[in-house]
Amino acid sequence: MRVVGSSPPTLEAEDKVAGRTRYLPDEVVPGMAHAKVLRSPYAHARLVFIDASPARALPGVVCVLTRDEVLADPRVGNLYGYVFRDAPLVAIDRVRYQGDIVAVVVAEDVHTAEEALELIDVEYEELPRLLDAEEAMSPGAPLIHDRMYPIASELHPIEGTNVCHRSTLETGDVERGFAEADAVFEDVYEAPPVQHCALELHAVIADVRDDAMTVRTNCQAPFPLKAELERIFKRPARVIVSYVGGGFGSKSRDRIEAVVAAASNLAKRPVRLVLTQEETFLAGYIRPAFKCWIKTGVTRDGIITARSYRFITDAGAYAITGARSANNTVKVAAGPYRIPNAFVECFAVYTNKPPSAPYRGLPTTQHTMAYETQMDRIADELGIDRVEIRKRNLLKDGDIHITGDLIRSSHVAECLDGAVAALSGPAPAGDEQTLRGRGFGCTIKYTLTPPQPSVESEAAVELGADGRFEVRAATVNIGQGSDTTMAQIAAEALGVGLEQMRVVHSDTALVPPDSSTTASRSTYHMGNAVLDAATRLRAEVLEVASGLLEEEPDALRLDGDGVRLASAPERRVALDELVAANGAPLLQYGQCEVGGEYVDEQGKRYPVASTFWTFAAAGAEVEVSRETGQITLSRVSCAVNVGRAVNPVSVHKQIEGGLGMELGPTLFERLVWDGDGQLLTSSLLDYPLPTMSTMPRYETALVEPGFPGGPYGAKGMGEVGSVVLPAAVLNAVYDATGVRFHSVPLHPEAVLRALEEAGEAANG
Amino acid sequence: MASAPLQVELTVNGAAQRLAAQPRETLLDALRERLGLTGSKSYCHSGACGACTVLLDGEAVSACSTLIGQVRGRAVTTVEGLSEDGGLHPIQQAFIDNWGFQCGYCTPGMLLLAKSLLDANPAPTDEQIVEHMSGNICRCTGYAGILESVRAAARALRSARD
Ligand code: FES
Ligand code: FES
Repeated sequence: MRVVGSSPPTLEAEDKVAGRTRYLPDEVVPGMAHAKVLRSPYAHARLVFIDASPARALPGVVCVLTRDEVLADPRVGNLYGYVFRDAPLVAIDRVRYQGDIVAVVVAEDVHTAEEALELIDVEYEELPRLLDAEEAMSPGAPLIHDRMYPIASELHPIEGTNVCHRSTLETGDVERGFAEADAVFEDVYEAPPVQHCALELHAVIADVRDDAMTVRTNCQAPFPLKAELERIFKRPARVIVSYVGGGFGSKSRDRIEAVVAAASNLAKRPVRLVLTQEETFLAGYIRPAFKCWIKTGVTRDGIITARSYRFITDAGAYAITGARSANNTVKVAAGPYRIPNAFVECFAVYTNKPPSAPYRGLPTTQHTMAYETQMDRIADELGIDRVEIRKRNLLKDGDIHITGDLIRSSHVAECLDGAVAALSGPAPAGDEQTLRGRGFGCTIKYTLTPPQPSVESEAAVELGADGRFEVRAATVNIGQGSDTTMAQIAAEALGVGLEQMRVVHSDTALVPPDSSTTASRSTYHMGNAVLDAATRLRAEVLEVASGLLEEEPDALRLDGDGVRLASAPERRVALDELVAANGAPLLQYGQCEVGGEYVDEQGKRYPVASTFWTFAAAGAEVEVSRETGQITLSRVSCAVNVGRAVNPVSVHKQIEGGLGMELGPTLFERLVWDGDGQLLTSSLLDYPLPTMSTMPRYETALVEPGFPGGPYGAKGMGEVGSVVLPAAVLNAVYDATGVRFHSVPLHPEAVLRALEEAGEAANG
Repeated sequence: MASAPLQVELTVNGAAQRLAAQPRETLLDALRERLGLTGSKSYCHSGACGACTVLLDGEAVSACSTLIGQVRGRAVTTVEGLSEDGGLHPIQQAFIDNWGFQCGYCTPGMLLLAKSLLDANPAPTDEQIVEHMSGNICRCTGYAGILESVRAAARALRSARD
């Protein structure tokens, strides 16, 4: 292999450092007007009265979209959501969180639109608010939605409650498993909401005409969005996504595109909206508040006999993505272990908070925090080495996962060894001022997998008139380097160099369909579709060359910029000549089908619960100041079974980025609302983010056994780097301090208090 | 309502500019909207993230928190003006070679912040790099690639000078 396995910089690297890359907030469409959103000041209220006429009268205002305009247009549906159809484009009769969309002003410039917001006359009648998911689940709690509107078949709301989704997964006999245990451990863990803080703000430019619409956006799922816009607006939609400045899940499914499209439909001209940083905090999407209860039975030898696990995520006011994100982690919530008897129960609950979204790996991070910190407690209390106890339970190839899936490429024990080895050297000792410790953890991650076989990604590769190859793939280039990965895969299959490739991405009018750029799925799914297309194209190129050179295709080689006779390389036809002789570019399509069953060599069938599982382990080394409670992360390690790295350096950098990001929610990030549902942390002054000064030393390692079925053995890994970090840090903090924390972030005050209490307990 | 425009003369990337701007307009808006220099980015619009970092007479400033009236007669450098010969500036090359970015949104600001450091201190220690570069936020890289890029850029600039 020449191109796959090498680490060229991304194709767009020069443009990015030159400031030439155009992100959506940089785009201007001729004739466009500017939108601003009027947002609810209340967490929950009835919308009694709204009159936008004073705003409409302001010079420079083009139009104002309120419930009246939405309800008056028979061609515009008023509910958004392709997972859960519960979000009105603008509030109809109620607002359900502080920041909910009440109206949209369209004006000639942003300042006028802002000014006009203040002229809209609105009367609210406050309703009781529910800010906590557990409280919202309690019997008799007021209902946030009058009825449930699930679209995705795997979602199961409980009518008459605020539970927008409940699902369970069960294997074996949990009661018997606990009865067989020598010891049973129970713990409760919690994590607060945080925001993704992608630096590029959410932006939309919508141009809705009578017979068609074009929506430019920086979302992560252009094709599902296209379908949803077509449903709402009853006309063909084109969705264009340019380079995206980070998303981490916050841009996975947004209703803002539909809202701006409705404004453009009313304005009869292109309309642009760029959210402010404050709006992204206030209005969503956020990582939801999380709480779980974990109970594990083990034998004296530390073998898990049973686990029951219940978790609640706060879906926020609309279940646009929150319910499904929670459900998507049910399969991995019990951890990367052999568990003969397991019961997992998932709740997603409506509250009067912003809608939630996946955050770099859904809530897998929080599950890992729970089962891996409890694992250390089990090890310590049974007197078993913390690495050893894991190895006794970790899933190996040939084991059956709790979903019934046959584990085929785990290597998680190797990942654990890798993460431990990476923090080599003697364990750091504490001193008068500083406590020091190390901790580790392992994880398993799922990728979106349909129950029945279905084609989830398609791609095209074309040989153009200039003799270069163009890959067309809907994968959104969000910083992960996807264009380069796809180009590397295609170049390898074709037998040409990367300099002969170009990539067209994520414009629904130019590329074949794909489900989304989420869940670490692109390298595998789109990679396979690209590989398929490139393989077909190579065959076609050789076929055409065979006619030109009058030789059998088998005797020819596609190599560099031409096709030549293997035995007599001077007999060649250049690729541009080949296209000219053919009279048209050569184009081939490819696809990736996933889902269904796996059949082993004996013909035994297993459900494919996840197209691939990603296994990883991480370690952390911390310093805890005895005086301030301040925790410093000095080193972190992470080893991931990536199947095979298409671009190894890029993969290492993805892992580093994940670790560096998750450090924030582990040590200091948290969104806080007051009792009235008012967000108290809406600016970066109240919500500090990791900087270079909080950066640990990263030690990353790749485990590359190759994954059968993946393109050149690759599988996805974009999110897994971050997932184990909180667990590893909590375990390291225990190692340093002897205090077991059950929640993040590890604020210095909380740490100091816990240290003092522990000290008193020890002395008293 | 629009107030009387302000006449502002300044130099941007070496070229003299004369702008009729609104008094409350920021340097960032003027660069992006009046001059079409969209390389400078915006996130927090409150001076806290550094996505909008430009050089003002060689000093790194947040263009989102600089009013257009404050830059009269001064020289602004944006990412578009970093390289003088149409190729890449050594700092830009160092960011490519050392994976100093992923999505690239923080990159223009990071490049200029790095330049302000290296212009003043051609041989910074790691501590000095970390302290200086901590003013800007990157959400993708975890910063290791950026640190390495700045170190490499310092080396490249020094050897070019020798
Ligand atoms: S946008 Fe200027 S500092 Fe954040
Ligand atoms: S590279 Fe994405 S924010 Fe820095």
